[in-house]
Amino acid sequence: MNTTSTVETTPSVLFELRGVCKEYTMGEVVVPALRGASLTIQRGELLVILGPSGSGKSTLLNIIGGLDAPTRGEVMFRGQDLARFNESQRTQYRRKHIGFVFQFYNLMPNLTAEENVELATEISTDPMAPAEALDMVHLGERRTHFPSQLSGGEQQRVAIARAVAKRPEILLCDEPTGALDIATGKVVLEALCEINRRVQTTLILITHNASIAGLADRVVEMRDGEVHHITINEKRQSVDDLAW
Amino acid sequence: MSPFHKKLFRAMFYAWPQSLGVIAVVMCGIAAYICVYSAYLNLSLTRDTYYTQNRFADFEIMVERAPETVIFKLENLPGVRQVRKRIVEEVNVDIDGVDEPRIGRLISMPSRHTPVINDVVMLQGRYFDTGEQQVAILSEHFARANGLEVGGRFQISVDNKKYSLRIVGIGASPEYVYMIPNVQALVPSPERFGILWVPEEFAETALDLKSACNNIIGLVDDPEQLDVILDEADKLLDPYGVFAKTKRENQLSNRFISDEIKGLGVSARIIPTLFLGIAALILLILLNRMVRTERTQIGLMKAFGYSNWSVGFHYIEYGLILAVTGCLAGFLLGQWMAGGMIKIYVQFYQFPILESRVYLDVLTRSMGITLVFATLGALTAAIQAAQIQPAESMRAEAPSRVARIWLEYLPFIWRRISFTWKMILRNISRNRFRSSVNCFGVAISLSLLLMGFFMSDSVQFGMDFQFQDVQREDVKVSFQKEQGRDVLYEASRFPNVRRAEGLLEYPFEIRVGWKKKDIVVVGIEKDAEMQRVMNFDLDVFPLGDGGLVLAESLADDLSVGPGDMVTLEPLMGRIDQIYEVPVRAVAQQFLGTAAYMDHGALSRMLNEPYAITSALLRIDSGSRDVLNKRLKDIGGVAAVSFKADAYQSMMDTMGQSMNITNSILLAFAGVIAFSIIYNITAVSLSERQRELASLRVLGLSIPEVGRIMYMENILMGALGVVIGLPMGMGICALLVEAYSNDMFRLPFHIARRTYIFSILLTMSFVLLANLAARRKIRRLDLVEVLKERE
Repeated sequence: MNTTSTVETTPSVLFELRGVCKEYTMGEVVVPALRGASLTIQRGELLVILGPSGSGKSTLLNIIGGLDAPTRGEVMFRGQDLARFNESQRTQYRRKHIGFVFQFYNLMPNLTAEENVELATEISTDPMAPAEALDMVHLGERRTHFPSQLSGGEQQRVAIARAVAKRPEILLCDEPTGALDIATGKVVLEALCEINRRVQTTLILITHNASIAGLADRVVEMRDGEVHHITINEKRQSVDDLAW
Repeated sequence: MSPFHKKLFRAMFYAWPQSLGVIAVVMCGIAAYICVYSAYLNLSLTRDTYYTQNRFADFEIMVERAPETVIFKLENLPGVRQVRKRIVEEVNVDIDGVDEPRIGRLISMPSRHTPVINDVVMLQGRYFDTGEQQVAILSEHFARANGLEVGGRFQISVDNKKYSLRIVGIGASPEYVYMIPNVQALVPSPERFGILWVPEEFAETALDLKSACNNIIGLVDDPEQLDVILDEADKLLDPYGVFAKTKRENQLSNRFISDEIKGLGVSARIIPTLFLGIAALILLILLNRMVRTERTQIGLMKAFGYSNWSVGFHYIEYGLILAVTGCLAGFLLGQWMAGGMIKIYVQFYQFPILESRVYLDVLTRSMGITLVFATLGALTAAIQAAQIQPAESMRAEAPSRVARIWLEYLPFIWRRISFTWKMILRNISRNRFRSSVNCFGVAISLSLLLMGFFMSDSVQFGMDFQFQDVQREDVKVSFQKEQGRDVLYEASRFPNVRRAEGLLEYPFEIRVGWKKKDIVVVGIEKDAEMQRVMNFDLDVFPLGDGGLVLAESLADDLSVGPGDMVTLEPLMGRIDQIYEVPVRAVAQQFLGTAAYMDHGALSRMLNEPYAITSALLRIDSGSRDVLNKRLKDIGGVAAVSFKADAYQSMMDTMGQSMNITNSILLAFAGVIAFSIIYNITAVSLSERQRELASLRVLGLSIPEVGRIMYMENILMGALGVVIGLPMGMGICALLVEAYSNDMFRLPFHIARRTYIFSILLTMSFVLLANLAARRKIRRLDLVEVLKERE
């Protein structure tokens, strides 16, 4: 499939990345992390990005999420180029549109599950009730627990609830199951798929576990800082069917 | 170098502001210690050597007139080693070109230089030649202040006869290291009072004391026996009119230096304890945090097979290396400062020899103290590190138990609090350790600053108190003998004198039970304006008939209070009566240890209808020279002291040396206060990196994230201020106790601007530290921080 075929931004297109390059300067050495990656992201789709370490998939995700700015190229979102955003515009963008889930849950240890979710709902304009967000990840019962009283999988689901609660346009998950065992990982993935199905949140999921790819609408394979191949799944697998 | 040590040094280098903070605090502590303790040792050694080399007397007895023959009887008393008779008399000194009256204390010396008790050390010129009569050796500072040199001449008047004396030498004596004429003088004024050592024959002729003496000094075998010996001597000398008996410990000059040395000893204990305690505290915080962040590494080391001991010791070593570095730097700084300190002392005290050494013993001691404190500071961290289980350490540390704050149980209030404030309150209440460390650090910093400012405040207040509120005359004219009302009347009719008041000062032995002390009782007239008895709150004590008002230090010494009875025995021999007098009140005094009484009552105790020993005058400004000329012609004047001069010389000597020490103390306090606050802020920032990064990712802007942290720090800072104020006041109260001595008491007075300054300075340190933290928040690499495992 030709990745540059879509020129017109149709209403169903959420992001349009064109020739995105990112170079890190470390002392005198310039290390390229992305070498002209181009990608279109459709509203409501579940996209899995696969690739070995160093292929640039996390960098790509961070650029989409507004944690990082590209060195060259365009990242079009609602007619605006993210690449030209300054720090405070990126902060506003993150605040309004982005939900992040990391491999390590990054919960505030001294806040309860519900308070961790409140952290996000307090700063957004049209959030879910924290309790509702926790219900979505089936943790309604445990909302008064502190992270130390929750298992790894539960903590990750609190992190997901926190990310979803502000009703972001897109949920970006960087190895969300990387620190979890198979069974727990499946529960977390199920939670993510459910959100994608029910709230129609666009979801990008980075992993180097190829077996997860079956969940996706499309699978993007990255290699050496470029989009190497995109596969469209005719039919998405359910979490239970995944061969881990 | 083992990889362990490489890790150690790199960690120190990486956290250089913290490392530097610890080093700086240890350095300040040790420098202050070395400086003060060396001064203590140097001065003690100098004093002791000087006393021994020149046979400083164990006792001194003043009599009206005793024959030579009694000396042999005294020498035969059991326990007495040696006795010397002297003639001591105060005389007016007339120097060409000097209008103001100068007072010289004439002291007779043998005509041939042999080692005698209270010997003179020749600094310049020579001793007398046999047969020489009208020659003198002058004390050094007096000669210098009046421009007198060897070979020069000056006049003295004794009993209305004038003698011209030639200066053959310049000298010094252990008897006058602190050169003041009497206890009321308190501060040396080198140009006004000095010693004139003259040949015995000349003194005998001039004062009409042929083969007699009026002053006896001696050495004893065992100073413990002094009381018994002096009682025996008193019996022997009784027919010759004993004015006063003084033991070495009460000898004026010795009392001043010994008090000063004692004060240094106290500082040498307080200062390092305070500073090094703080250094230990910083180490404790720094290392505990290090152990927490290095949990995984520690586990890994142990997994490799390093023992608990070697891992634990690693952190102690960290503390030790910083502390030892600080200690060595402090040693050098301290040595340098000690040199300066000794120079101040030499200005103030007249020591012809100066035993100044580098005490290796001091270095080993400071090293010892430092090591103990550093180890204490590092100990909990080391124990924690030793206790970490390798397998467990690979998993994330379970956060400590957390609880809700009470406010959360009051939903009607809690709901109204903004989100940011909820965050802040939760952070504070759920990280109690971190919050209390923040708070405590600020409290310590504030108390240190308060302490630094307090010393100058206190001295300034004391000086103002003494020279504005208590002493309100312009000139004090003291007479050699008691005078009647006519002299006061005459003085009040001098040109330019606006008001004259009489003052009666008389020496007594005061006794309560077995405790006794030689004091001066000051008689103040009922309507007196120029000398008042008051306490530090500026309440004036009325002196009703008959009762005594005691200086606080004297009352403490004798353990008496208002209502108690004391026994007063006049010392100058003439009056044999003993009086029982009630203590009316106890007054705080900045200077001196006098007792006060109504003038009329005191006169009656001396069997006089009206007697004064000095006149206090208030004069027109600019009329000083006129007054000096008039006073020069009046016989019987023992001293003229202008209050402005006394204030000035006090400021020049004590004020100056205090200013230097206070500035150093304040500078140290500032360094330490900032180190503590900066360190604690930096530590709490690095503990919270992940938390702050998470907030940033969620979409909080840098100012929003910053605000949460600053507000938290500022809130804890404010709380620290609230705690620090009483804490600092407590330290100041301790200092008052530690530094007050017989002669002088620090007022517990903290100026309002000191509170304001200290609080502002502390809070600006907090803001400055947060500003530095803000830069770190800005540079926070969100992606990196969040990808690290917890």
